[in-house]
Parts: sequence; C-alpha cells; structure tokens
Amino acid sequence: MILNSFYAFVSSLGFGILFNIRGKNLIIASIGGGLGWFAYLLTSNLQPSVSFSLFIASMVVSIYSEIMARIYKNPVTMFVICAIIPLVPGGGMYYATLEAVKGNYEVALSKAFVTLFSAGAIAIGIIFVASISSILKKIKK
Amino acid sequence: MRIDDIIHIAADAGKIILENGGETYRVEQTITMICTSYGIPLTESFVTPTGIMVSITNKENQTVSLIKRVHIRTVNLNKVSMINNLSRKLVSNPLSMAEIRKEIDYINNLPSYSYNTTTFFSACTAGFFTLIFGGNYKDFFVAFIIGALINCLSIFLDKLDVNSFLKYMLGGALAAFVALLATSLGLVGNMDTIIIGSIMLLVPGIAITNAIRDTIAGDLVSGISRSVEALFIAIAIAAGASIIFKIWVLLFGGNLI
Repeated sequence: MILNSFYAFVSSLGFGILFNIRGKNLIIASIGGGLGWFAYLLTSNLQPSVSFSLFIASMVVSIYSEIMARIYKNPVTMFVICAIIPLVPGGGMYYATLEAVKGNYEVALSKAFVTLFSAGAIAIGIIFVASISSILKKIKK
Repeated sequence: MRIDDIIHIAADAGKIILENGGETYRVEQTITMICTSYGIPLTESFVTPTGIMVSITNKENQTVSLIKRVHIRTVNLNKVSMINNLSRKLVSNPLSMAEIRKEIDYINNLPSYSYNTTTFFSACTAGFFTLIFGGNYKDFFVAFIIGALINCLSIFLDKLDVNSFLKYMLGGALAAFVALLATSLGLVGNMDTIIIGSIMLLVPGIAITNAIRDTIAGDLVSGISRSVEALFIAIAIAAGASIIFKIWVLLFGGNLI
C-alpha cells in the first residue's frame, strides 16, 4: 500500500511538471497525490464501495490542498489538480470502450455508469470541502 | 491615472490566468481586485473559458469597456499563481502603471519546462500509473515508452495548431497501437494496465477540476462549457483507442483479451 502511494506520488509529480508547477509547490502537490491514493486504498480495504472510497479520497485531497493553499499563499487549484489526477477513473473509461468495441453493450453501459458515478463521487468530495472552507472563511470574518 | 490603462492592465492579467488553466471566477476576482486597488469604484466583468468582457466606471462617471478573446489554452499553473499573488500585493501597495506592466510582461514571458524534461516526466507518469494499476516491470517499460511518444506527439501537433479533439484521438490511438504491438510481440504481461496507465496522461484533469470549481462558484456557463470539454476529450480518447482495436482485429483477426 505504501509502495502504491509512492507510485501515485511520482505520477502526480510528473503531472506537476507537465502543468509547469515549480519549486516547493511541486513537491507539496505531489505529496497530495500520494496521500489521496493512500486514503483511497485504505477506505477500499475497509468497505467494498468504490464510489465511497473515491469520495473519501477526494475529500482528503481537497482538505489537504485547502490547508496548503492557506499556508503557502497559492491558489487551491494548483494543488487540487495535480493531486486529484490519480483518482480520475481512466480504467473505467477504458473498459467501457473495450466492451463497446467487442459488442457487449450491456456490460459497456454498466461500466460507463460506474465510471460516471465515480466521477460524480470525486466531484461531490471536492464540492463538499470547498463549500465548508468558504463557510469557515465567512465565520472567521 | 488614465482609465484606459487600468482596464488594459486588468484584462491582460485576467487573460494570462485564463490562458494558463485558472478558473473563471479567479479571473473575475483578479480583474475586480486590480481595478479596485487603482481606485475604480465600479467594476463588472463577465468571463467565460473563451473570452473576457470587462466594463469599468470611474468617479467622474466615465465608462470604458473591453473585450478580450482567448484562443490559446495551455497549462502553466506557475503563471496563474504569480498573477494571483501580484494582484493581492497590489491591494496593499499599488504600483505605478509602468511597473505593473513590466511585472505582467515578465510573468507572461516566463519559460516553461523544456521539451526534454516534460517528455521524461510524462514517460515516468505513464509508467508509474501502470504500476499503480497492477502492472509488472515489463509493463512499466512499455508504458514508459508510450508516455514519451505521447508527449512528443502532442508537442508536434501543438506546433501544427491541430484542434484538441484530433490531438487526443491520435494520443489514444497511439497508446492502443503500441500496447497491441508489444502484446503481439510477447513483451508484456497485461495489455489493459498499459493502456489505462498511458491514457491517464491524456485524461482531462484540468477541465474536470475547473468545471467543478466554476460550478460551485456560480459560474454556470463556464462550468457547463468545461464539462463539455472534458466529455469531448474523454470521447476522443475512447474513439482513438477503439478505432485501433477495430482495425487490428480486422487485419490480424483474433480476439481482444
């Protein structure tokens, strides 16, 4: 699990380079990617639902990014974009296409539906944290 | 201080953020912040992923508006962050027009990472994604090569000004083709993990994240257009990969595993 999180860290680091993040921010964003994948693996060991694991993982990533953005005075997007990438359901998309090409439309549809659901879970995780952080900002003022 | 100069500075700063992968609400916020720090009481801006419209009114009730069309769409989060910090700095300490123009030009002309660096790291990214999804070391090397090839392809296509649909379609096709080739030569353990790992490189991460963030911020037009962008990229990747699958089966027969 630790090794897999390290792989996720390196993948996020590569994306950070592609997105032209520099210096300290690059490392911080990649650690977010590793952390998110660790949270995903941990929750998927505890319970079977993929969507729920993705939801928890994307919440972890968002909370981490919000905190880091406050500390280092940088836009939240910079950290979120890099760190969320390992969670994006590329595999589901691929299997849905493959099944559709083979002609198994029912399997393809169910795969596509699961993919859509996973993307939705990630989105809700991000929305949840962003909304709470903006409420906290209001209360602080 | 002339009202014309202020609106041009604000719109240019906004344009840099929009071109380099910032959210639309951040562009609006930056424009308002810059205008306010130069003493403009009323600023209205409307930003979509493809254009900026700003209208400002000064204390003598003069109104000026400006439209900027945005064509380039790259990702350089470093520039977004620097413009963001510059506009925050202006609130407490307004620079003179010449100074801020110099700052904006400096940020706009910052170099990106070199092609060699991005090629190496996109190869690493594809390789390590393959490992995450359960590939072995042989799969890692094939994905590593595919990652490098995809980056070279997209650099080449960017120079030709190819539209993004074709770019992602060819990227997906390339990933599928090399993976099929390597599988038929018996070089790999698992073809699926290689293709998944390599197409993660093309996945529209920026479009998805910004679509979500724009929608929460209430910019529904931008949210929808970015979601459509993400959907189209996903369709393009899938189409590219499936065309190759079909052609491969037609030419060489056999079943897809």
